[in-house]
Amino acid sequence: MLNLISFSSSALGSLGQLALLGALGFTLMGLLLAFVGGVRADARVVEAARRATWAVFALMSLGALVLMVALLSDDFSVRYVAEHSMRSSPTWIKVTSLWGALEGSILLWAWLLAGFAFILSLTLRRDALRPWALGTMFISLLFFVGVCATIASPFTPVSGLLADGRGPNPALQNHWMMAVHPVLLYLGFVGLSVPFAYAVAALITGRLSDHWVVVTRRWTLVAWTFLTAAIVAGGWWSYETLGWGGYWAWDPVENASFIPWLLTTAFLHSIQIQEKRGLMRSWNVWLIVLAYSSTVLGTFLNRSGIVQSVHAFAGGPVGPVFLGFLAFLLIVGIGLAAWRAPSLRDEAELPAPVSREGAFLAGNWLFLVFAFMVLLGTLFPTFVEAAQGRRDASVGPAFYNAFAIPLGLGLLLLMGVGPLLPWRRADGQSLWRALWPLLASGVGAAGIALVFGVRAPGVLLTVGLAAYNVVGLGLLTARAARQSGGLTRTLRAQPRRYGAYTAHIGLVVLALGLAFSSAYRRDAQITLNLQAAPSTLLSERLQLTGLRQEDRGFGTSAVATVQIDGRPFESRLNTYVQAPGTLFPAPAVRYGALGDTYLVVTSIDPAGKWASVRLIESPLVSWIWWGTLIICLGAGLTLVQPARSLPSRSAVRLAPATD
Amino acid sequence: MTRPAPQAPLPRARQRRRNPLPVVLGVAALAGLTGFIAFGNLNKSLEYFVTPTEYQQQRAELEGRPIRIGGLVRAVNYDPQTLSLRFVVSDGGASFPVQYSGAVSDLFKENQGVVVRGEFQGDTFHAQELIVKHSEEYNVPKTQTQLKDMLQQTQ
Repeated sequence: MLNLISFSSSALGSLGQLALLGALGFTLMGLLLAFVGGVRADARVVEAARRATWAVFALMSLGALVLMVALLSDDFSVRYVAEHSMRSSPTWIKVTSLWGALEGSILLWAWLLAGFAFILSLTLRRDALRPWALGTMFISLLFFVGVCATIASPFTPVSGLLADGRGPNPALQNHWMMAVHPVLLYLGFVGLSVPFAYAVAALITGRLSDHWVVVTRRWTLVAWTFLTAAIVAGGWWSYETLGWGGYWAWDPVENASFIPWLLTTAFLHSIQIQEKRGLMRSWNVWLIVLAYSSTVLGTFLNRSGIVQSVHAFAGGPVGPVFLGFLAFLLIVGIGLAAWRAPSLRDEAELPAPVSREGAFLAGNWLFLVFAFMVLLGTLFPTFVEAAQGRRDASVGPAFYNAFAIPLGLGLLLLMGVGPLLPWRRADGQSLWRALWPLLASGVGAAGIALVFGVRAPGVLLTVGLAAYNVVGLGLLTARAARQSGGLTRTLRAQPRRYGAYTAHIGLVVLALGLAFSSAYRRDAQITLNLQAAPSTLLSERLQLTGLRQEDRGFGTSAVATVQIDGRPFESRLNTYVQAPGTLFPAPAVRYGALGDTYLVVTSIDPAGKWASVRLIESPLVSWIWWGTLIICLGAGLTLVQPARSLPSRSAVRLAPATD
Repeated sequence: MTRPAPQAPLPRARQRRRNPLPVVLGVAALAGLTGFIAFGNLNKSLEYFVTPTEYQQQRAELEGRPIRIGGLVRAVNYDPQTLSLRFVVSDGGASFPVQYSGAVSDLFKENQGVVVRGEFQGDTFHAQELIVKHSEEYNVPKTQTQLKDMLQQTQ
């Protein structure tokens, strides 16, 4: 038991800590009630467990609110505030400091998890899975609330009251996207706890039909959408903050969010096969266990320091407990799946290779290989160190690009052909009839790109596959619209299908952005003298027109104003009061539909006579951001309820036998 | 629209004779492909981070491949107009000259911690990327481990 007397010097600290401990108590109570309710099939006990989630959420909300108040009021008697905030930070920085460091980010995770459990308690159906789904949520809550209330509590006391705090990590206050990215990421991570909970409930009760995947489909889609937005938001932050003109470096932190995305994307496709055809039941259970476990694995990798050095593993206590929780999830998940293996066996034959489910299965394999390879690259330096004792090996981007590009292209290929194929089996002739417009348009588009000077094979293939996908989805939509008497009616009747098509279009847009911005990016550096004649760089005229210093209270900025082809760019080098010896570039970016102009100042003469700058021109970067928006909108569309309408007789007759 | 009735379970005898060969072959092909990509490519992609002394000791193994070398900055010669930088990277026990083309900030100076990524050509390190480690520590750390820890902790 923690010594609560030591909190007497901090009213907010003690209130926050009590809230967390109370939440932990109710979590334990809820877990016990859910278990008893499940074993006895007692509805009243299950009801009590359901209400326990309300208490947990209320108390976690109180804890988070207390920490927010402490941050905003500069209460440095609260340890987290003393270590990660400071008086001169602007308000939005103080708000985002809540999740800008370890203890606060785990508090955010625990609070969101409590929120999800609360929403689940309000929406879950009265069925046999209910107590066990709640119980599984309580187990996740037990871990995260427990870590929050104990080894990673933000409310532990400080030894002496400080006049000011040490300030946040400066890299996290250099751009507003840091306010957004972690919240989106945690919404995605935490959202996966719900399908995981239902999978466990299905395994425990033995009710392994499609019920649990139908019930959790929307939860999974919401989590996936947040994950998608989070990964790209992280890339955008990298683009705007690190000053190298790139958005993805296969950094362990980035990889940790990408692996759950790959597994969840596979899961979203494979549950359709279970729902429609009763197949892949075993696969789906394994997949959601892996997907949820990978969110914990990602946090373990980032918080334990293991990917930097094995020696750091002996550091703080958070790494080992995350590893323990990860092991627990895998052991329990694998154990339950193995126990229920006979019941999980599919009722029917494996899908025919040339069928919709065959395409989905192949896509699943590619996603799994992709996830495994990313994990291997992320962990390989650790293995090398453990095996050879050689410190500080790292895996470069070349390794990742060698498999990511072919796997990505393979997925684009399957993405186009999957929707065309019927369930069960396609005969060769009808397949060819359906495919040839796609292949023709793909080859045609690649040919046009070739004429316009595109030579990189990966880009040509991406362009071809993009056209192939767009034409395929267009033809399917047009055919359906003809049969049902109009495009609007078609969309309203099947929003799930056309939402998925929209998301696929968004992914095509994003793929084009990735391909072109990677292959055709241009990068050069130059030193510009103040008010000298323009210099030419990358076929553009650059002129340094101003150099100045700005004092911003929480830091200073050296600002270089550069005219590029007559347009002003203001690029900054920021320093922050809490890290006076470090420069943080804030590049000037002109976003364009067909290309970005990106200017970063790397050095400024102390006497104010010159500045060294780096100019980067990248085509189609904006397509990455817009493509992501289209994906998220498409995912949202799949959640819309289909409109009820009286189908015409001819539509009934001509409607395909399968959805 | 109601879903078609689920397919009746197959007779047991026929289920028992289901041919596992396509699945086995498929999995084996995927495993082979994965292994080929991984281990053919992974060792080539591996980059080591060494101090000048470590490079001196492991030169035969590391020569010709991309590495990251870290140490303290000495003998800086930088022309901001041509963005040409030459300096020596040292850990107190060994030193190597470094060439880099690109801008560096005015924080790049004597005794600064630095990590450079690139390749050795002969005895000169040709850097493609420069990461300056800002540290209050100006003394040469006593051990290689301390130097590496310092270079990784600061930023």
